[in-house]
Amino acid sequence: MGFSATGTPRFDVVVVGAGPAGATAAYLLARDGFRVLLVERGRGAGSKTLYGGRVYAGPLREVWPDLDREAPIHRWVRVERLSILEGERGLTLEYRTPKAYSFTAYLPDLVKWMVKKAVEAGAVFVDEVRVDSLLVEGGRVRGIRAGPDRVYADVVVDAEGVNRLLLEGAGIVEPLEAWRAPVALGVKEVIKLGEKAVTERFGLDDDRTGAAWVIMGDATGGLPGGGFIYTFKDTVSLGVVLRLGEAYREAGRPPLDSGPYALVERLRLHPLLQRLLEGGDIVEYGAHLTIEGGLAFMPDHLAYDGLVIVGDAAGFILNTGYTVRGVDYAVYSAKLAAEAIKKSLEAGDTSAENLRLYEKLVRESFIYQELEKHWAASKLMEEWGTAGKYPSIALRAASRLFEAESRHPTLWEAFLEALRASRATLLDAARVFAEVVRGL
Amino acid sequence: MTEQSSPERARALRLEDLLGRDIYDVDEEPHITVDYEKCSKCDAKPCLYLCPAGCYTLSGNRVLFSYEGCLECGTCRAICPMGAVRWSYPKSGRGVFYRFT
Repeated sequence: MGFSATGTPRFDVVVVGAGPAGATAAYLLARDGFRVLLVERGRGAGSKTLYGGRVYAGPLREVWPDLDREAPIHRWVRVERLSILEGERGLTLEYRTPKAYSFTAYLPDLVKWMVKKAVEAGAVFVDEVRVDSLLVEGGRVRGIRAGPDRVYADVVVDAEGVNRLLLEGAGIVEPLEAWRAPVALGVKEVIKLGEKAVTERFGLDDDRTGAAWVIMGDATGGLPGGGFIYTFKDTVSLGVVLRLGEAYREAGRPPLDSGPYALVERLRLHPLLQRLLEGGDIVEYGAHLTIEGGLAFMPDHLAYDGLVIVGDAAGFILNTGYTVRGVDYAVYSAKLAAEAIKKSLEAGDTSAENLRLYEKLVRESFIYQELEKHWAASKLMEEWGTAGKYPSIALRAASRLFEAESRHPTLWEAFLEALRASRATLLDAARVFAEVVRGL
Repeated sequence: MTEQSSPERARALRLEDLLGRDIYDVDEEPHITVDYEKCSKCDAKPCLYLCPAGCYTLSGNRVLFSYEGCLECGTCRAICPMGAVRWSYPKSGRGVFYRFT
């Protein structure tokens, strides 16, 4: 740490928020020899973080080569399930593979591990400090303000997450309003079952193998959104994600007449899941906002004079309807940000113009390209989406196929009947199919 | 944990039971405040139904707010149609403390 002439602390970089993005930026920049301060509002690293439960490993390995050996990984996901619920009926698709691309972990533990790495690399970590605002002087960001304290830095990395109080305060993004922001509320329970029970009940090969399970249709009581389950060492997470715009319009009417918690409890007690979760002990309950449709949440720019925006705050969550990726996007965005910051600091110029190398790197990376590619499909999801028509068409077709006293329809007949029952036309279905296929 | 089925578990838990599983260090000062003058003009009151911690309750026709069980998600600030919620995070590491999330 350095001090200015007036005794105010001064760093090369101040990172706000010790989540996956913030910890990564702090680690990489400290490793490169810069003076880095990582500020976290929670008590210890990771105490305020919450996600579904799955992390894609590839992008993380580029930053942390020791990931597989050292990180607090619970289970490698080799079983993917997708279920569509309607009433007490359920249709499930299961995919099993020996090769795993993602793992489950408690995010608080994973973040603690990343912050430990950052501190070992030389970053200064300060917790229990709530940053109140960006310090803007002479039209550029010069540091942060926390209570009566100011800290100056050449670059501030904003890794504050989905609630962008600092960016809103600085006028960089609009205030968060449910009726126009592409955000969703995630509510989840962590249920302890025991290691053996998790492995056996979820049909997993061993104690290191995990399942990721997306639940569509009735999981949200018909509201746009979906449900999820991830298996950990001896627990599972069970949650519901609700698109906030629609939830806002439906508030007070069933199924949103007694709070989002009731939807998670309803899912826990669904016949499909209850037998798997029975006797489990709920050890934690939590909620967090998430982003749906990342491109629409992205700020106008990812860098400004003295400021770089990473992770959730930049809108980097991919939701394809069948999988969600956020932690790896956060880490990789911070890696790209660190490259641009390093170059700018070395050039002695941390203006927007220099720092926007980060923006260029993001556009050339899978982050932007994937978000853009899935944009069309995700727009369609709003109409037909995870709670909408096409899951119910699939379920109805299945019920036509399997619930027959004597005469079984052909696949084509079942499909047409299901379309009719869902009040969709063949043309609708063809259009959606074409759009989704193009979007995929 | 027992493997035998427990009839109690087969019923939905109350929100209080769920929140009771969490660890908090509640601040003496609320990190969220409600402008009741703006709040009283609201008919829809979506906060009553969307706060995952049930921090907003109805007393007569008036919304009562308590911050103690807050999960710090930010839903209320995004859904208040009156802009009556002044929202921030707790200071000094206070508030909810997640472990398995």
